[in-house]
Amino acid sequence: MKGGSCKPSGGMCRKRAWKMPLCGPVFAQLGDGAPSFHRNGWQEGTNKYDSIVGNDKIGEVNLKVEVVRLKNITKQYPGVLALNHADLEIRSGEIHALLGENGAGKTTLMKVLYGMTVPDEGEIYISQKLVRFSSPIEAIAAGIGMVHQHFMQADMLTVLENVIAGAEPSVRGKINYGQARKNVQEMIDQFAFDIQLDSKIEDLSVGERQRVEILKVLYRGGTILIFDEPTAVLTPLETEAFFAVLRKFKEQGKSIVIITHKLQEVMAIADRITVMRDGAVTGHCQPKDVSINDLAAMMVKREIKVNQHMRGTNVSEDVYFEVKNLSLTAAGKTILDHINLKIHKGEILGIAGVEGNGQTELIRCLTGLQKPEEMELLVDGEAVTGTASDFISKGIGHVPEDRLGTAVVESESVSTNLMLGYHFKDWFRRGRWMDYKKAESFGNDCIKKYSIKAPSAKTTIAEMSGGNQQKVVIARVFSENPKVVICAQPTRGVDIGSIEYIHQRMREFVGTEYAMLLISADLEEVKAMSDRIAVIYKGKIVAEGPTDEFDDTQLGLYMTGAKKGADI
Amino acid sequence: MSGEMVSVIQSLITTALRMSIPVILASLAGVFSARAGIVAMGLEGMMLSGSFAAAYVTWLTGNPYLGILGGIIADVAMSMLHGVLVIKFRLDQVIGGIGLNLFATGLTTVFLQIVWGNRGKSEMLNTIGHIQIPVLGKISPLLLLAFIAVFSAAYVLYKTVFGLHLRMVGENPTAAKTLGIYVNRVRFQSLIIVGVLSGLAGAYLSIDHLNMFVRDMVAGRGFIALSIDILGRYTPAGILAGSLFFGIVDALQLVIQSDKIPGQLLQMLPYLVTLLAVVLAVKDVRPPASMGKIIDERE
Repeated sequence: MKGGSCKPSGGMCRKRAWKMPLCGPVFAQLGDGAPSFHRNGWQEGTNKYDSIVGNDKIGEVNLKVEVVRLKNITKQYPGVLALNHADLEIRSGEIHALLGENGAGKTTLMKVLYGMTVPDEGEIYISQKLVRFSSPIEAIAAGIGMVHQHFMQADMLTVLENVIAGAEPSVRGKINYGQARKNVQEMIDQFAFDIQLDSKIEDLSVGERQRVEILKVLYRGGTILIFDEPTAVLTPLETEAFFAVLRKFKEQGKSIVIITHKLQEVMAIADRITVMRDGAVTGHCQPKDVSINDLAAMMVKREIKVNQHMRGTNVSEDVYFEVKNLSLTAAGKTILDHINLKIHKGEILGIAGVEGNGQTELIRCLTGLQKPEEMELLVDGEAVTGTASDFISKGIGHVPEDRLGTAVVESESVSTNLMLGYHFKDWFRRGRWMDYKKAESFGNDCIKKYSIKAPSAKTTIAEMSGGNQQKVVIARVFSENPKVVICAQPTRGVDIGSIEYIHQRMREFVGTEYAMLLISADLEEVKAMSDRIAVIYKGKIVAEGPTDEFDDTQLGLYMTGAKKGADI
Repeated sequence: MSGEMVSVIQSLITTALRMSIPVILASLAGVFSARAGIVAMGLEGMMLSGSFAAAYVTWLTGNPYLGILGGIIADVAMSMLHGVLVIKFRLDQVIGGIGLNLFATGLTTVFLQIVWGNRGKSEMLNTIGHIQIPVLGKISPLLLLAFIAVFSAAYVLYKTVFGLHLRMVGENPTAAKTLGIYVNRVRFQSLIIVGVLSGLAGAYLSIDHLNMFVRDMVAGRGFIALSIDILGRYTPAGILAGSLFFGIVDALQLVIQSDKIPGQLLQMLPYLVTLLAVVLAVKDVRPPASMGKIIDERE
């Protein structure tokens, strides 16, 4: 047995550990629209969102100095310009909000600062000094700490163990737990965190787990703290407590960046705000100079219109699809809260909302994949219950949101994928047996009918582009003439040409006879395709009305929970 | 209580302890494997190769202590082989383990033929001396070593930097990585310990238990060790209790020996009882979260 195998000496081990080559997870974004090339730099701004550099109030306790400057950061992923010459300045003793929609590039920009993503272009200055991070280890050493949206913790270990792991006080390989306890307890006391050192992580609430994550950053001497969507998982009370901690950090002169899309929070806590859209910084401002509406406009406005507006020509008065009182809770948390939806014949109802507000669960409940606590579902006046298979046979078609995960089997052929879910139908069978010949000729028909680019029905899905894969899914669902289609993210990761085609087919399909529920993270898509829009926020429909009666600002406000409205 | 009864109980205890030695060592090896996030499916094969190597070196040198060393070296090599396959080349751990078992079975049988000219068993071998202690009488020094190993393992896991890193790696390798812990290095270091412990377990079987190598002499103890790991919740204290329990049932089986019950049924007893214990007594055992998962270092 090698002597050193189980007792690497603490000091040496740590020293080496800092140099550990560490590559962040490959972070890719699927853009929800073409990147914008518009940019307001620090000097270029001409409106009231101008930067306020060098304009500090006199008499403030902390002299606010620049601690971080990101300059001209550009990051290109295949097909997506994730960051487009983004600039950001962070000062000591401030809470800086990085605001933007999903996919705006906020997290990517912060991952660049945290060393997890290496930018193609641009410079990082820490306290006026040019640095280059190739791994988080280097960023941590420079005093930067990041609290990820998904906590990096070992559930079965204790709070203390999670906090100190990788930076233990030790003597010849033996951890000095006394010292560790003292250090961590001091930090806990300082911020009045109500956490027991010996609790297992799995027994903690989300709020407590977040505090553990904060302790980890502080324990490593972080002075620049980045929080990715910190309040997304917190209850209102926990959020208040969290803000109190942030204010304390501020008093100590630490710099805080919160990545968020919640406008009200930004107004409540931030000292300065940087707004991002499509990878570019679209504005810098202070809460006192702007209203929530201004922020929403900066965040939601789009410059490039790819989506042609399409409306139903003949929406009938008859309610064709109705959801009553859909409620779902998971782990004591309300996911869906008494959702009522009505869709008429010939109508597309779009669900707008920031991702993670219950859309996935809504889709699962409406397609029979998940059983909610409460729900009444009527298709053409007929109640639908049972399993996913019952839902399909009652005429509810499903275009799943996760194409490769749920919609298709990559290693199987086009014709097989066209049968999935409908394989029991007579037209795929000969007596008791599957008839693959029929399936294949059906596949070839679909390829022609839906202009799928594939050499034959035997081509496997894996060989095809995202757009053509999606056309297979659309062909499968639409060919069976379902009464209602639950259509989720129909054009996610699909090329512009196919988007247009799929949108046309969707309208064509609905025609005057059928109904469709469109759920998409792409607001432009929802606006273009829907006759009516329902906005979902925290599992609740907060607004509903004809699409053309919403404007972008309003939608932004509803989507971020800044405004709760009655029907328009 | 009659003198006869006392001697029966005494022999029951000594037999139980004796039978539990290889299981303690092997399940301890399993703990270190699991904590590194690696399913110890190949324990059976590793024990077998350790057993053979120990027998071979003892036969060559006449020194059983060198034999034990040989067993350890062989098993560290086996463990490293497994590590390279499942860590470096990201082979499925269960498949890697099964491969290891088949490899060991084949290899030992072939060498048995080559070295001793038959496919069944080796010649009788020199054995290590037993030590006399009060109450229990003569016991194998490996029993003491097994107990020391359990306590050292608990110390390493819960008191040292390496132990914390290991537990972190087993639970959440991604988190470990962001904390600056070399995930793969920790896993390989743990696999060295796995090799040492399973080598000891194997060597005990051939050098101390039977004084010869017999084909397939591990007889499922590697898999029993896996069950005991679950029973003992992957903790040293837990597996000590589990192994002693197995030892007692195994000893009972030997002591009962009756004309009315077929021997095969009795021999089945310890395995059956362990299986039942795992099924019935254990409800919410959570193995280290990363166990069995392929960790992609590039991420």
